[in-house]
Order: sequence, then C-alpha cells, then structure tokens
Amino acid sequence: MGTNFPLPLKIEGRAYARLSSRLQQADLLLHREPQGTALRQVEIVTRDGETLGSSAWAEVTLDPPLGRQPRRLRLPDGTMFETDDHDAVLTLTGGSGGAWLHALEQVRPRLAAFAAIAVLSAFLVWKYGLDVLASAAAAMTPPVVLQQMDRGTIEALDFALMEPSELGAEEKERARKVFQTLLDHLQDTPNGVTFQLLFREMPGMGPNAVALPGGTVMVSDAFMDRFPGEDVLAGVLGHEIGHVVEQHGLRQVYRSLGLYAVVAFVAGDTGPLLEDILLEGNVLLSLQYGREQEALADAFGVQLAARAGYAPEGLITFFETVQSEMAEPPEWMSSHPNSAVRIQSIEDAIRQLQR
Amino acid sequence: MSANISEFEFRGNAKEWFGIWIVNLLLSILTLGIYSAWAKVRRHKYFYNNTYVEGRNFDYHATGGQIFVGRLIVFGAFVIYNLILTMVPMLAPVLLLALVLILPWLIIRAMMFNARMTSFSNVRFGFSAGYGKAFLVYLIYPILTALTAYLTFPLLDRAVKRFSIDNHRLGTAAFHFEAPLGPFYKAFFAALAWVVIVGAAVFALMGATVMTSFQDSFASPNPDPSAVLLFMAGFYGIFFLAFLPAVLLYHAMTRNAVYNNTVLEGGHQFRSDISAGALLWLAVTNLVAVVCSLGLLLPWAQVRMVRYLTAHTGVVLGSSLDSFVDVQGRRTSAVGDAYTDFEGIDVGLPV
Repeated sequence: MGTNFPLPLKIEGRAYARLSSRLQQADLLLHREPQGTALRQVEIVTRDGETLGSSAWAEVTLDPPLGRQPRRLRLPDGTMFETDDHDAVLTLTGGSGGAWLHALEQVRPRLAAFAAIAVLSAFLVWKYGLDVLASAAAAMTPPVVLQQMDRGTIEALDFALMEPSELGAEEKERARKVFQTLLDHLQDTPNGVTFQLLFREMPGMGPNAVALPGGTVMVSDAFMDRFPGEDVLAGVLGHEIGHVVEQHGLRQVYRSLGLYAVVAFVAGDTGPLLEDILLEGNVLLSLQYGREQEALADAFGVQLAARAGYAPEGLITFFETVQSEMAEPPEWMSSHPNSAVRIQSIEDAIRQLQR
Repeated sequence: MSANISEFEFRGNAKEWFGIWIVNLLLSILTLGIYSAWAKVRRHKYFYNNTYVEGRNFDYHATGGQIFVGRLIVFGAFVIYNLILTMVPMLAPVLLLALVLILPWLIIRAMMFNARMTSFSNVRFGFSAGYGKAFLVYLIYPILTALTAYLTFPLLDRAVKRFSIDNHRLGTAAFHFEAPLGPFYKAFFAALAWVVIVGAAVFALMGATVMTSFQDSFASPNPDPSAVLLFMAGFYGIFFLAFLPAVLLYHAMTRNAVYNNTVLEGGHQFRSDISAGALLWLAVTNLVAVVCSLGLLLPWAQVRMVRYLTAHTGVVLGSSLDSFVDVQGRRTSAVGDAYTDFEGIDVGLPV
C-alpha cells in the first residue's frame, strides 16, 4: 500500500460499532501519527463526533471489491466501516487486494471471448476430459486394489445373485483350454491384471458372461449348455478379455464419479428444473458410452479369436441366437447395441481381417 | 405490499453478475475445479450483499480456503469409504448404518456453518440444535411419512421448516415459527389436484397413441423409432406438465405460509406474497432461455428469479433494526457444508 496521497485523508461512509447492528453515518480519517513517522493511523468518527474505533492502517482488513458493492473495512477492535467511494479506497490500496480479479469481471468485449472459451471448455471436459481423467485414474489404480475389487465383487455376486456351477469337470476343462489359448495369443496385458475363468449358475440371466476389472471372467452354466461349440466360446471369451484389456469397467466407474463431481462443484446452482434435465441427459449419454465399449470389445474379441485359430464367425452365431430367442429394447435406450447392429459391425470386422 | 412493510430489495443486475459468473466458471474449469470453492464465495457474496432491507444488507463471510479444505476432507472420506466398500464388501451394511447415523450431525454442522458465515447489518446469524431433534426430523419422520403413503407429507415439511427456523438466531435474537397445518395441506392438495387433473388431460389427449407406442417399443426386437419417440414424449409431457408445476405450486403456497408465520425476536414479522402462476412462468421462461443460450443466460435467469422473490418478501418491523447484538461464536468448519453441497441438500438460511 505504498501509493502516495496527501494526509490527512477523509472518506465518507457508514459505520457499525463492534457487535452492534446500529447503522451510523461516519467518516474514515487517515492521519500520519505519531507526528513525523511513516506509520499511518486510521480512525472512524461518526457525524456526531464520536470515535467508534481506531487502529494502525496496516492492521485494517479490507474485503476484496465485488461488483458495485460498498467497500468494507474492518478494524481489529471490531469496528466496521463501509463506503461507496470506490475511487478513494482504490487510492489507499493501489492495485492490491483482489483488484485484478475485479477488473477481469468488468463487462467488456473480452467477456465474449471468455464466454466462448467457457462454453467450449465445458463441452471438451464433458466429451473428452472425463475420459482422460478416467483413463489416468484407471492406469494409476494399484494391482492390489484391482484384485481386491474382483474378490469383493465375486463375494457379493455369489451372495446375492449366483449359485455354484453344476457343470462337469470335462466341460470346464474344455472352456479353460479355449481361454488359455486366447490368453497365449494376447499381445499385451495391462499392469496388475491376473486372468482367471470362473463358472457359475446364474438364475434368470440366460446365456451370459461377465468380466471384472482385475481379469476375472465368469461364464453362466446356461451359456455352456446352449453353446457347446469352441468358436462361439472363443468369440465371447475374447469379447470379455477385450473389456478387461481396455479397462472398460474401471473407466466407467471413474467416469460416473467424475461427472458427479463436475456437476456438483463446477456447475453449482442451476435451479431445480435445469438440474433435472442435466441428470436425465447424463443417463442417456452414459448408455451411449456403454454401447461404444461393447462395439470395441466385439472387434477385439473377433481379432483375438481369429489370431488364436478359431473361426471369427463364432460371435455372430451367438448374437443370431440371442436375436431370435429374446426380445430386446430399442438400441438407444439400452447399454448394449442391438444384435442386428452388432452382427453387421462384426461382419465388417471379419472382412477387415481377411483383407 | 402495504405501507408499513419494509420490503426486501435486490440491487444486483444481470450484466454485472454475468461478468462475475463467467469469470467464476472460466477459472473453475481452468483450475480443474479448484477455484470453484472461491467462486462459491463470490457467488454468495454477490447475492447476499445486494439484498437490502431498510438500507442495510446481508453479507457472506466464508473464505474460499475454508470451503476448499472442507471439500478436501469430505472427498477424502468419500474415497476411503468407497475403498473400504470395494475391498471388504461385507462391511457394507455397517458402513451404511454409520453414514446414516452421521447424517443428522452433518446437516447440523452445515446449518451452523452457513448461519455463522452470514450476517445482516453487521450481526452474524447463529444456529444450534441437538442431535436427537435432527435425528427425528431427518431420519424418523421421513420413514413414518413413507409409511402413511406420503399423505402426512405436509406434517413432515412443516417439521423440517420449524427445525430450521426455530434454531436460527440473528445475534441474540431468536426466530420463531408457529404455523397451523391448514395452509400446508391446502398446498399439498392443490398440487395433488394439479397432478391428477393435468395428468388425466394429457393422458386423455395422447393416452391411446402412447400406449400403443409403448407396446410397440418393448414387444418387438426392432421397434419403429417414431413409436419410441412418441412414448418418450408422452412420458416427459406428463413429467413437465403435471409434476413440475405441481412442485412449484406447493413451493409457492408453503413459502407464503412459512414467512407469514415467522417472527424474529423484537416483534419483527415476515411477509411473503408470491404467486404460483408467476413463479411457474418465471421458471419455465428461465429454462427455455438458459437452454437456448447454451447456459449463457443463466446469470440473467438467476437475477430475474431473485428479484421476483425479494420484491415479494418483506418484514413488518416491531422495533428498531439498530438493536441487534452479535455474540462471539466458536469456530466452525466447512465439512458439513461441503457434504451437503456434494449431496445437493438445501440448508440455506430461511431468508
């Protein structure tokens, strides 16, 4: 606060005594005191001549400027002084105390540029930023946590949804051999992943397979019964291995956590109606994200199965059976693409392989 | 409003708030969200500072640093909670119970923090409440209400409002809320009537088509996209025409009842006369403006809403506003505030 200005200086305003709501017209007086030294003394005096408070200028705290709000000064003894004389306060403080932020907030043509940058970056964060964050978080997740996640999820699934498998040892061995052949042809495995194949009876879930982030793949008894062929098994297991390698499950978890935090803290108060709409939109968009992952895993599964020497059409056989046996919700309402669309893109992927 | 009422007055404007808001947003994004704690302070300060009664305004005193630390603590606790849950899923019931039991305490802390950080005419607000009462109001009453199929919702709502108002003070002066149940039930039945009548009308107009499209959508593996769209339109039509207006209707009617039955020690009686129609019109036009402008008209919409609410709020003064005395309170932390922010629980002052 080294600006030079003539002393004594007087600023008109209003003041409150310590702990009191009594509003009084008052002046702020700035003296050089004691005489001859560089120390400055501030004094708040009401229009009736009563001194409400005083202190050294260096001990006064000042709220940063905000809009056209009166500037507020607080003395250590609890006296509060406010004034509409912004220029006078600026003379006292110079450019310090949040003045640059206040200047930034003034409505000038450059705010149009700010608005454009804000809209664009909000869009980028939504579209790409969250994915980058989710991938980074997935990459940084320690192997112990990954294995614990698998163990925990298996415990929970066994407790709530699944029963022990009733398959024969022979059938299990056949599936394990296909699984191992696929793993032998895998090019690179992410750090911390340990693959294992488990069999479970999954009541009400039909022919199904599940992949967990730590490398656990679970297959339902119904699947093994319905699809005895090795090619179908290779296609579906390849698909699940694809989810693990690309860390889809883990990224999905981090992404939804991230979205939640962004909406809660950056967007802040949007008002009740808008909040509802933002959340509805997010649900639809996260379904879209799930569909992309399924398509990626399909392509991965087809390639892996082909490399390991199985007929890549196995996955198509699986979806054709699913399509003919079960009704599905329309594509954009579900997290999985519908079978007709998937078969189409798998055929494309196979054509790519043969080229 | 009549002559002896001191009206609330909002002196901010959309242009000025836009400048502050856009800088808040930009810095929040550029700092990956860290600045949002400081942005929250500037937002509250702008709206509090610009709200006047008899030439005196409100103020907000929390610092960005306080709020940031509170958020870090809550975020850390959240991460630990989820890690434990992931690694030992069998602990889930215990952890959930602990979280439920700590909830009333967090809500009290949040209300305390918000009250202590708000002042009017140089005197800070205060809040103090016992855990037991909060436990009843936020956990037991909601369960009982659910058991009555929500027919006793007005009772719950009144209890929540009473808990908040009766435990607030301005300096040493206490707030007091004593309202009959009548207005709450009137608002409740008005909202219910709206849902039933408008819902029935929407259904009668497009019900048959929607039902066919519903069957088409879910029965066939490859449904006609236009049928699905029609079904969704019907669903959102009922949501927007029947439910949202009903919520606003209830809010407008009970807000008046709450203010008109609240007294501040010293004989100050609050008044509110907002109308449900006006509130609905504001909410809908605001929504359209914000969506069509990619969010850029949000500051304008916020100022417009606050201006309407303050213009229809007032206080009949029973004595001088000069006579409030502040008490020196103990230090409060922002942990509860950060938690309620995160969960979207509204613990704002009843002002």
